[in-house]
Amino acid sequence: MNIVPAAITASRGAPRGRTTRRDLLLLMGGAFAVLASGCSVPGILAPAGPAAAFPPPGGERIDELGHVLSRCSFGIAPGERAEAGALGIDAWLERQLEPAAIDDDACERLARGFSVLGEPAGELYEYKKEVVARELAQSTLMRAVHSRRQLYEVMVSFWSDHFNIDLSKADCAWLKAADERDVARAHALGRFPDLLRASALSPAMLWYLDGRENRRASPDDRPNENYARELLELHTLGVHGGYSQRDVMEVARCLSGWTVRDRSRFRKGMVEFIPTAHDDGEKLVLGQRIAAGGGAGDLDRVLAIVCAHPSTARHIATKLCRRFIAEDPPAAAVDAVAGAFTASSGDVRAVMRALFACPSFRAEEPELRALRGAKLKRPFHYLASMLRATDAVTDASRQLLDHLAALGQVPFRFPTPDGYPDTAAAWKDGLLWRWKLAAALAANRIPGTRIDADDLLRRAGGADGLARHLLGRAPDPAERRALDAAGPSRALVLLLSSPAFQRC
Amino acid sequence: MDPTTIAHPGSSIGRTLVVVFLRGGADGLSLVPPVGDDDYHRARPRIAVSAKEGVALDHRFALHPCLAALEPAFHEGCLAVVPACGSDDDTRSHFEAQDLMEHGSRTIAGGWIGRWLRRSSHGESAALSALALGSEVPESLRSAPSATVLRSLDDLALDVDAPPRAAMAELYAGDDMLAASARDALSAVERMGRLRADAYRPERGAVYADEAFASGLRQIAQLVKAEVGVQAATIDLFGWDSHFLQATLIEPQMRILASGLAAFAADLGPRLATTSVVVMSEFGRRVHENSALGTDHGRGGALFVLGGGVRGGVHGTWPGLADGSLDGPGDVAVANDYRDVLAPVLARHGGGADAAFPGRAFADFAI
Repeated sequence: MNIVPAAITASRGAPRGRTTRRDLLLLMGGAFAVLASGCSVPGILAPAGPAAAFPPPGGERIDELGHVLSRCSFGIAPGERAEAGALGIDAWLERQLEPAAIDDDACERLARGFSVLGEPAGELYEYKKEVVARELAQSTLMRAVHSRRQLYEVMVSFWSDHFNIDLSKADCAWLKAADERDVARAHALGRFPDLLRASALSPAMLWYLDGRENRRASPDDRPNENYARELLELHTLGVHGGYSQRDVMEVARCLSGWTVRDRSRFRKGMVEFIPTAHDDGEKLVLGQRIAAGGGAGDLDRVLAIVCAHPSTARHIATKLCRRFIAEDPPAAAVDAVAGAFTASSGDVRAVMRALFACPSFRAEEPELRALRGAKLKRPFHYLASMLRATDAVTDASRQLLDHLAALGQVPFRFPTPDGYPDTAAAWKDGLLWRWKLAAALAANRIPGTRIDADDLLRRAGGADGLARHLLGRAPDPAERRALDAAGPSRALVLLLSSPAFQRC
Repeated sequence: MDPTTIAHPGSSIGRTLVVVFLRGGADGLSLVPPVGDDDYHRARPRIAVSAKEGVALDHRFALHPCLAALEPAFHEGCLAVVPACGSDDDTRSHFEAQDLMEHGSRTIAGGWIGRWLRRSSHGESAALSALALGSEVPESLRSAPSATVLRSLDDLALDVDAPPRAAMAELYAGDDMLAASARDALSAVERMGRLRADAYRPERGAVYADEAFASGLRQIAQLVKAEVGVQAATIDLFGWDSHFLQATLIEPQMRILASGLAAFAADLGPRLATTSVVVMSEFGRRVHENSALGTDHGRGGALFVLGGGVRGGVHGTWPGLADGSLDGPGDVAVANDYRDVLAPVLARHGGGADAAFPGRAFADFAI
């Protein structure tokens, strides 16, 4: 089966009225026919009328606005800086914390092109595994590129890594699509306890970490500890968070009996609690007694205990600060964010507000300036940021995903439960493949993806404006020399390949 | 990645694993017909290979005449043949069986080659450590630190429309985080620049046919000789799903397979000792021929290992083709699990087979 997502311009905010996917596809067919004859099609592949000029940043260094946008998005699209600047940084952040209030119709229409992904978990089995897996990866890239709810998309990717599931394991190819929707997307800016509970009862997670095998139907059955261990080590307290092997075993006992129906059964993919497979004796988890006879309720008691544990606040805070501030975040920032986590009982919005208030996040003070542009973009971020910065038209084709494979970050393909690493060391050796991707994109050699380099240059107000747009500041002397050496025809690819553009 | 790690990545110094996947379920009884087994001729009155036609390997087995190009390698002792080989899962769906074989089990994440590479490289990505010749990354390479789809060797060059190397060198020279990585990447590009695919001259009279499979193998040979750190390469050969007029479908494929491998072996010469080529398929086919002179999906097939220090010969247990010994609807029983066969091959490459197939208690397989 072939479901071809409609391609659309990455320009944000151009209202197009209500158009169904079928309409879009019909229009696209016409558009390609017209394109083949060399005419442009206003409103379909380009925004209505000529795309507007946009003011690039004017400073010699990355300014606060550029820095905040860069950290809270998958890259800065033309015009986005001006829009956020008019609003003000704080108001922009507040608005991004309320994604439902941001009109994102154009992106939603694109996302609906991947129709498989709206299906309930059990129905996903009706499709071929590779179709579900591919559409999930494609829709994730499309949303990262096109959504106006950029912070939300960044948070979705953060939680998706945090609760990592490799869809190449067993039934996960089908069920991960439901997990992504019902766990990370449902609760990305919600409450951590809700997020954790959704993950604990996600059909894909029950497969991925063997929770479905965790049963005690007879006194000889030993609990399967896999999920219990990762729950403590990765999802909540962290590896040195102060739990013991005994705690792992006790948590596993609490969760025994929860399983998911496999393909051979009616209502496949359904999560259920089998009381006869549950160890209903008394347990002791992290020093807290859970009385015998709790049944299915043991799960909520365990989750409440781990959510309230101070190590969980610190673990989540550390990871968030690593993502948004620096690989080795300042202790003061971690303390502030962990404090907000505890005080709000894991309200992600409150946690993010605390993070955004950290001086090290803004990096405005002179001694903190070095934090700006210091993080290496991971490959997915790098790809999305190029597509956004160039206003690319893309259908997130397989060829584009192949580039991500060479770079080592196809979505939902990390094999171990700790998720794609968030360190520069893990990613800095892939430069050759980044440069090849930049060259392929800039030369329009990727089928299904198009950029209009001449128009981008015009909109940026010339070569200097283009450099400022992509570097977030004026080019430094070395960059100017390299730009001169490369010549105007290679300015775009040079900038996209430059060390500054690898960073955020 | 500095030049020394390009030449000697991870623990498997200079060794390369090449995995050829015959997609579609290759008929093991045609690749390696048991011409000395009367049950074989009874089950396939019209399509069996006769003892006279086959290239004799031992008292029971022969190579299909279309695989005759592999005869020298067998007699030189660097080709191992394992009949009745496959996985313990009895799905007869192409997709499921390929998926399973490439993942190594129904319940483990990632692919077997990918996990093995991740272990042997300690999770660090060397740019050229895993290559998939063709158009997509196979499931077997999933979870590799990086896996590159390569349509042609020329893909490894910096593209003509990329910025000039000198400009890139200048841009990255002062970068505290990326200067060393950029220097290594540029030096790899320079080395690759001397390896243009069209300028390659195979050695020892090797002749690669002018088709995709041979050309893929030629490029792998070129990379192996250039010592750019390729630890694993995969390449597919399609066209084995022979339900109908089997001979017309698979005989050309067998010739392509054999002549490609023979050219590769000749071209590599002494380097074949450190290069293992594994040829596998998702399953073999039904023992009895069908009414359309074809065969249907089955279980046990044939697996080959060429080079890499393998012990040549016909290996493993042969379950026979008597009615009582067949599996399910009449298929060759899987007497030799492919994971047990691969274990000693992987062991010679370093990294250990337990990374590829975690939790498996390997049966001894002296190959």
